[in-house]
Amino acid sequence: MSDILLEIKDLHAGIEGREILKGVDLTIRKGEVHAVMGPNGAGKSTLSAVLAGRADYTVTSGSVTYDGRDLLAMAPEERSWAGIFLSFQYPVEIPGVSITNFMKAALNSRRKAQGLPEFSPSEFLKSLKEKMALVQMKGEFAKREVNVGFSGGEKKRNEIFQMAMLEPTLSILDETDSGLDVDALRIVADGVNRLRTPETASIVITHYQRLLEYIVPDVVHVLKAGRIVRTGGRELVDLIETKGYDGIDG
Amino acid sequence: MDNTLCIAGRDPVPSLFRLEAGEALRMTIIIPEGVNFEHALEIHLDGPGASLDLAGAWRCSSDERVRLQVTVRHNAPGCTSTQLFKGVVGGTARAEFDGLVYVAPGAFKTEARQQSHSLLLSEGAFCEARPQLEIYADDVVCSHGATTGYLSPEELFYMRSRGIPEAQARAMQVEAFLAPILNRAL
Repeated sequence: MSDILLEIKDLHAGIEGREILKGVDLTIRKGEVHAVMGPNGAGKSTLSAVLAGRADYTVTSGSVTYDGRDLLAMAPEERSWAGIFLSFQYPVEIPGVSITNFMKAALNSRRKAQGLPEFSPSEFLKSLKEKMALVQMKGEFAKREVNVGFSGGEKKRNEIFQMAMLEPTLSILDETDSGLDVDALRIVADGVNRLRTPETASIVITHYQRLLEYIVPDVVHVLKAGRIVRTGGRELVDLIETKGYDGIDG
Repeated sequence: MDNTLCIAGRDPVPSLFRLEAGEALRMTIIIPEGVNFEHALEIHLDGPGASLDLAGAWRCSSDERVRLQVTVRHNAPGCTSTQLFKGVVGGTARAEFDGLVYVAPGAFKTEARQQSHSLLLSEGAFCEARPQLEIYADDVVCSHGATTGYLSPEELFYMRSRGIPEAQARAMQVEAFLAPILNRAL
């Protein structure tokens, strides 16, 4: 059995008729953390949107295989059931829906899709409390409406909390560091690190090297103008830091 | 406080209330799925210090016709009225709401608030809200607001990305929208 979890081949994709990804190739194996770095407008968010299945993005050619399946043919909820998780750059507010009900619906939908019985209330509550502790969320948090009135840091911690609840195989962290102060960044990174296993993988999408001091990548890719122009190890992060994206060419 | 729940199609819905000095009425009208309902309701605040807390919700999903006309008359000073209506309209259903708040001469220190919000679920659905204020007294606080919206694609995608199927995600948003009214009926 192959340990390849995700294979992107010559992916072209865009929005509203404008091509943004112009032939992306990327292979991710279980146990790996990949950083995708790039300047604004390089296509970083398009990549995460396409992987999560946003309907407003169109794939014009290429393929994405996840765990042996054609990812692009799967609905967003099917991708979630299959173990993909996107931590949103801008988490969405859902007025009137509590974190508890949101997570209960999410987990039980997956159980149902897998032909398993729902979690018992006590199992669910135990997991909820454990995972809240992981991102240092306290008591009332579970009763709050999803992201409504949350600070920037709380929203990102809520993303990592959801990630912990859903125990994904492939996590995509889209600019998870944006808008975080250093304390929140540590909590978020610590949560992500503790969820790492030899069976899971992560894609950390970021503009800055800051997050990568806390979540250490195995492989670093530089995305520029819709293509991966350079792939290397951690030394690439330092190179970007000293030379900037303009100094990196394919 | 008097607390009246009327479920259209099940309970008789009154057409006139008169509130005397200091009386308070709390009333919730629910129009469930599949019920055609046309009704005019008048509430008169006839005595000083009377108060009204009125709410209504409707949920149309196929070809229902709902028309609700509500008239609140502030006939005496120092009365308060709050009104909140929320409707979800899908299929080819039509929902219309007329809300008139009338403040009679001499009904000073009136406080009247009215809000109506609609959520449209389909292209073929229709809703209209016609809020009206008629004020013939000074020193009053009156407000009204009406909004019409659709389910948010951003919210739906967020929920689906967490594994909640689209139909359930839509249902959860509808439930959340109506919850402030439906919770009054519990």
